[in-house]
Amino acid sequence: MTKKSKKQEDAACSRRSFLKVGGAVAAGLQVGAVAGAGLAAGKDPSTHTGWQHLGDNTQFVDRTKLIRKGPAFHIVGDTQRTQRHESAFERQGIIMKNMRQYREMISSFDAGEERIEGRGNMEAPEPGKEKERKPPQDPMKYPPMDTFEEPMLSWYKERPDLYEADKVRMEEIMPKRAKDSETYKEYYTLINAWSGSWSTREPITEPPEVSDYKIGSGRKIGDPIPFKSPAHASLLIKKVAHHFGATMVGITTIEPDWHYDFGLRGAEDKGSYKIPEHWKYVIAIGIPHEWEQVNSNPNMATSFDAYSRSTIAARRLETYIKSLGYPARRHSPMDGYDLIGVPYLVKAGLGEQGRHGITITPETGANFRSAYITTNLEMEIDQPIDFGVEKFCEHCQICADLCPSGSISRAPNNHEMNHRGYRHWEINQTTCYNYWMQSLGGMGCRICLIACPYSRKANWLHTMARKADTADPTLTVAKSLTYLQKNLFDAPEAEDFLPPPDGEFANFREAPEWLDVQNYLDIEARPPSKDRKQ
Amino acid sequence: MITNLVIFAFIVGLLTGAVVVGAITWAKDLGLRMTWWKCLLAAIWYLLFLFLFFAAFTFMGEGEPIAGWRTLGISTVILVILGAGLVRILRSK
Repeated sequence: MTKKSKKQEDAACSRRSFLKVGGAVAAGLQVGAVAGAGLAAGKDPSTHTGWQHLGDNTQFVDRTKLIRKGPAFHIVGDTQRTQRHESAFERQGIIMKNMRQYREMISSFDAGEERIEGRGNMEAPEPGKEKERKPPQDPMKYPPMDTFEEPMLSWYKERPDLYEADKVRMEEIMPKRAKDSETYKEYYTLINAWSGSWSTREPITEPPEVSDYKIGSGRKIGDPIPFKSPAHASLLIKKVAHHFGATMVGITTIEPDWHYDFGLRGAEDKGSYKIPEHWKYVIAIGIPHEWEQVNSNPNMATSFDAYSRSTIAARRLETYIKSLGYPARRHSPMDGYDLIGVPYLVKAGLGEQGRHGITITPETGANFRSAYITTNLEMEIDQPIDFGVEKFCEHCQICADLCPSGSISRAPNNHEMNHRGYRHWEINQTTCYNYWMQSLGGMGCRICLIACPYSRKANWLHTMARKADTADPTLTVAKSLTYLQKNLFDAPEAEDFLPPPDGEFANFREAPEWLDVQNYLDIEARPPSKDRKQ
Repeated sequence: MITNLVIFAFIVGLLTGAVVVGAITWAKDLGLRMTWWKCLLAAIWYLLFLFLFFAAFTFMGEGEPIAGWRTLGISTVILVILGAGLVRILRSK
């Protein structure tokens, strides 16, 4: 080998070595870059499916591609409106009244009275049978079933499990919660302050025929200003609603069945009522919870952030519509509802109802709260959509697995369900409410809302998963993703969410540092986990 | 944001070029007879490697470190198994 060729070979060798080492270093750098990009993609606040993080194009999914034919819900029986006693919240009012009267009755017995008459819900004893009625022995006990008047009495007889659930709540859960609130009040100082500060109430005090035609405290609305077309009206209302803070907006027509059959706000008669004639359209809006805190449901989060924001957006939209000369009424978490929200959200094409009873939207999953405007402004309406939620929920069941009160159905599907004549998922709202009454912090639960796979972030990973899930009719992708969600992510067990000693008031994810009292307050706080039975 | 993306894409593009040139040199020095489908298989393995790495760190970034580490662990097992198979294929005549 000549000197020259040796030199050439050395040069080639060193060039090859350079390329090899360079390639290896580049591969290492590329892995580092990918890791960094992954971290950035994960942290990116613009992908939070929560308030203030969605930018201007909050309703970014094109629903025209998702429209499905047919009604929002299948009718499978005689349809009927919701009665007061069927709502767990409303029933609480009846129960409290009855318990008050029951206690009064006991006091009366203690005072030697032999009969009680005309005490609201309390049934007056039949003449001649007064002495057969035995005075209850324990004043803290829940009133016997037969002390409730119709229609609650018949309903309790039909659903003795709910009588028992109400009884447990009033006799055990509420006294225990009062005790827990005292024991852990320091630990929940910041979340209580945070949750409470969202409170804003402006109840409607006049019937629709009056209040819907007035702006603010008294100015009457003017003559209706004509729009170029219903489509123009719809377009403008949606644009303005987004400006007022609504993340999602949909429009549909009134369905009388979806209005409560009692307690019309502002009306003197709190019984059954006819739907006002000027309620022709419903504008449904949705606003998500703050991302940082919604993950630490149930005890280190609140419902009131989104309650408050959706209420304020609804108030603004109501005033806006009235200012154009059309009657309008808001139905919102802070100011009350005359209607049931979920069916309207579905009919207005904002999403589909999930196993947990909540509407799931393509943008924020189940992480949002809703408000509504009823009006007679003629608008182009939206159609229900289908992006695979119904099928997905049939096999997922993550919400049912995590529900601490077991209120979410584990049925394979909702085909056999019939609720007031409609086929849809339904939770046991009484046992759900019983867990609300156990939780501390911002109170309420919302575990199902945030554990829902559709509520995950809108970054590339989850967006890709959602798209793949929707595109696969065989459900193979959906089943695989559900398996991964159950096994990759670390979530507490359902019983961990219970109060001590059975649980530890766990949260779905760790609370943000600004809700941890240890970081900011100079107080001693006892964490509930210390009192869990080992 | 867009500027950052462009810069990122540019750097990753340069690195990809260096990786490709380096990989070709390695293959020659190791005496591998690379055909188009072998190159394709190697590229798929490498892209899968980057994809799983990206996914794991995305989980970590979104505040799910346990999911991130589990993804890394599972990915490593999958990539090692696939990598062993790939090496056998690349060494075949």
